[in-house]
Amino acid sequence: MSSEGDRLHVVTADDISEQRKRFGKLLVWGSAGLLALIAVLQAADQNGWLELGFTSWRPTLYAYIFWGICLCASQVITRGEHGKRTLFVLPATLFVVSMVVFPLLFGLVIAFSDWNLASPDGRKFNGIDNLRQMWNDPFYWNALRNMVWYTLAIIVEYAIAFGLALLLNAEIRARKFFRVAFLLPLMLSPVAVSWMIGKSMLENRFGPVARLLRELGVDNPSFFSSPEIAQLMIMLMDAWTYIPFMMIMILAGLQAIPRELNEAARVDGAGPWTQFWEVTFPLMLPVSITAILIRIIFKLKLADIIINVTSGGPGGATDSVTSFIFREYRDRSNVGYGTLLAIVYLVIIVIAMTLLIKAADRWMRPRY
Amino acid sequence: MKVSDYNTIMHRQLNRRGLLKGAASVGAIAAVSSVTTAVPFSAAHAQSDLRAQILKIPGVGQGSPTDADWQKVGEMCLGPTKERVAEGEFEGVELTFMGLNNQNLHNFLFRGFLKPWEAYTGAKINWVDLAQADYNPRLQQAIATGTVDFDIIEMGAPFEGDTAGKGLLDEMPEWVEEQIDAEDLVSYLKPPVGTWDGKKYRVTIDGDCHTFAYRTDYFGDGAIGGASVPKTWQDVNAASKALIGKEDPLTGLPAHGYLDPLKGWGGFGFYFLENRAAAYAKHPDDPAWLFDPDTMKPRVNNPAWVQAIQDVLDLIEAGAYPADQINADPGTTGFQQFLAGTGSMLMWWGDIGSSARTSDTSVVGDVVGFGINPGSDRVYNSKSGAWEETYNEAPNMAYLGWGVYVTKRVSGDEKKRKAAWSAAAHLGGKDISLWMSAYPSGFQPYRNSHFQFDEWEAAGYDRAYIEDYLGSNADSYNHPNAAIEPRIPGIFQYYSVAEDELAKGYAGQYGSAQEIGDAIAAAWEKITDQIGRDNQIKLYKASLGL
Repeated sequence: MSSEGDRLHVVTADDISEQRKRFGKLLVWGSAGLLALIAVLQAADQNGWLELGFTSWRPTLYAYIFWGICLCASQVITRGEHGKRTLFVLPATLFVVSMVVFPLLFGLVIAFSDWNLASPDGRKFNGIDNLRQMWNDPFYWNALRNMVWYTLAIIVEYAIAFGLALLLNAEIRARKFFRVAFLLPLMLSPVAVSWMIGKSMLENRFGPVARLLRELGVDNPSFFSSPEIAQLMIMLMDAWTYIPFMMIMILAGLQAIPRELNEAARVDGAGPWTQFWEVTFPLMLPVSITAILIRIIFKLKLADIIINVTSGGPGGATDSVTSFIFREYRDRSNVGYGTLLAIVYLVIIVIAMTLLIKAADRWMRPRY
Repeated sequence: MKVSDYNTIMHRQLNRRGLLKGAASVGAIAAVSSVTTAVPFSAAHAQSDLRAQILKIPGVGQGSPTDADWQKVGEMCLGPTKERVAEGEFEGVELTFMGLNNQNLHNFLFRGFLKPWEAYTGAKINWVDLAQADYNPRLQQAIATGTVDFDIIEMGAPFEGDTAGKGLLDEMPEWVEEQIDAEDLVSYLKPPVGTWDGKKYRVTIDGDCHTFAYRTDYFGDGAIGGASVPKTWQDVNAASKALIGKEDPLTGLPAHGYLDPLKGWGGFGFYFLENRAAAYAKHPDDPAWLFDPDTMKPRVNNPAWVQAIQDVLDLIEAGAYPADQINADPGTTGFQQFLAGTGSMLMWWGDIGSSARTSDTSVVGDVVGFGINPGSDRVYNSKSGAWEETYNEAPNMAYLGWGVYVTKRVSGDEKKRKAAWSAAAHLGGKDISLWMSAYPSGFQPYRNSHFQFDEWEAAGYDRAYIEDYLGSNADSYNHPNAAIEPRIPGIFQYYSVAEDELAKGYAGQYGSAQEIGDAIAAAWEKITDQIGRDNQIKLYKASLGL
């Protein structure tokens, strides 16, 4: 085999015989056939067409692993050194396929099924019934609408994070202490935040915040009674936890900006605002966009604080899609519908994030 | 006994008697102990002697029992097993036991109790310990995927529909019933609870019900809540409204009446609307009160249930609840409100009233009283579709307590089957159960024999407290019109979706109580259709013993 024209240098030019190639192919197809046979037999056994006494799907799993090993081995057998290169990626690809693609496909099957764990009939394919149910489900649309508000709050979070990052980047006293102090909320589990703040500090009778407000003359301070305030409190708790995350990313970006640029701007007569708006902010855009996009992904998964503090109330005002799916799936064992909601949400997120990345890319370009 | 109950009693007794008196009582118990051991056993007294002796392990007020104590009790209570099983009879048998590990109790105790049983019979038990939150998903997934991998299971009666209803359980042999003296169970835990299609499946090891807790300083001559403790839900609402604007005698903060949890609690919050509804909807002549047993048509939107919802809406409208009540789940109403001195009336499981005396945040320890679920001046008859102007009360048997069940996995192997049932019977034995109800175990009293207060007193308990607290449980358990939980598949799904609709209703998103009831009914109909109406009808009827 010649490696001429190959962009990678291959030390050994393999001379692979036809017989060896045939053996390699036989290995792949033979193991694939075995895998298919076992899978079909198991499916037949599972569906009651044959009585083979399989107790679990492990034989198919073992056949899949065997096929994977044969596939990898055959690469080397049939293609020599080139095959070895493939081995750098192939096992990882097979692993990803097994752990992500298969479950996703199974998830799709479940999403289009009527499957309530309490039902004696088990899973039944029900076409697009779950989609129809979703379309008419006011709880889901309410949760989606809430997510829009939660996501929009990121703009404010970003502004605060940027401000804090600028402060921590400036020559201030005890800068290191403040950097660590501001990071502390991020180190807390959202469940801890829910209990410490939502359930304890904001407790309307004994919580310190309520006591303070009472001292200040507020009659009956309550933080989760009205839909608007409850939603705001959830936003605040979530923001308190995650603003440090955006702040630390922006701070890293700020520290990477060469000092000379701002100095040059100052020499050219730029004031602090002009320096920020014309130099720092444009240079920070790539980091900012990354921070915001990651934050949006975090935000879209918002559930723990809501589940712990309000359970989505009052009247669904604080419900997030994830907390709603949690109730549908865990409390009501409604696996089919819950999975469909999760998949639809995933599709919405993928589309929204793709559009956002494209838009951000287009928006950023003229700035350079 | 629930840990909190035990701590409460200990705490209260130390307070009441003082250290010297406590020491004197320990001395007295020791003296009695020496006397009882010195007196030769007679057959007639053997049983009561055994009960008295196990109650001395480790001794009331002598600290929490340890594994050594559990083993000792297990060993002493092996008598009934020895009568039916020869030594080494189960040699080579291996069983898997799935249960909980809450508060290091449940399975932890079972291990200790069953160690001497294993040593005597030769069987070996493998343990699957689950946290409470993991229990339901683990059980449901095992059922749905056909991977039941346990021979014995600790399970609540509400799941009988999911297991017995699907033919996953092994029928209890008659000798087990004799061994555990099933006749001794309190009325509501007798069949149909523990049975399915007329077959028995359960060795009961626990009891559960909601009882009424109230503040004694709110009620009485000249008290702010009125001269007497409210007896009906109509009284409860009237008292709650009358308390608006008054001052709590204990805390000096605004006084409040009954505390309804207005936020869901993973399905468990629905029990609290049930408390109100039971008085209106549970007619003495009709075992059903949630669904129509012939059609599974929900009754949650009938006038009785709507009245219960309306009661809550009325108190919201009147501003009778503490601020933020819309965000209060049952945990909040119990532990953060009632125990902390907010509100004067509450329905809860047994542990809340007693926690009053041990919780650091509790201020109501000396002003708490107990009773059964309030009644109603009128009751709705679903069959005639009309209200009857007669007094009705119906204690809510919310969650039916834990039991030990044996799965079908052992059915094909008679030796294994006998071993599994023998282990279950050992845990549900009459004497061992007295110890479990008297010491921290995670279980409440559930047998008539548990309410022989002399035994408790002889063991060193404070009689007045035991009579007051356990009395309310006993009265609820044995009530002829107890509202029994339907043991149908997916019962918590119904509760969970109802919580969502109620939350919307309480937040003012529906026009009336009727609309809220209708929305819940519509959601319940969907669940019934999804799980399978015919099957649900069959199972609901079976669960009601119809």
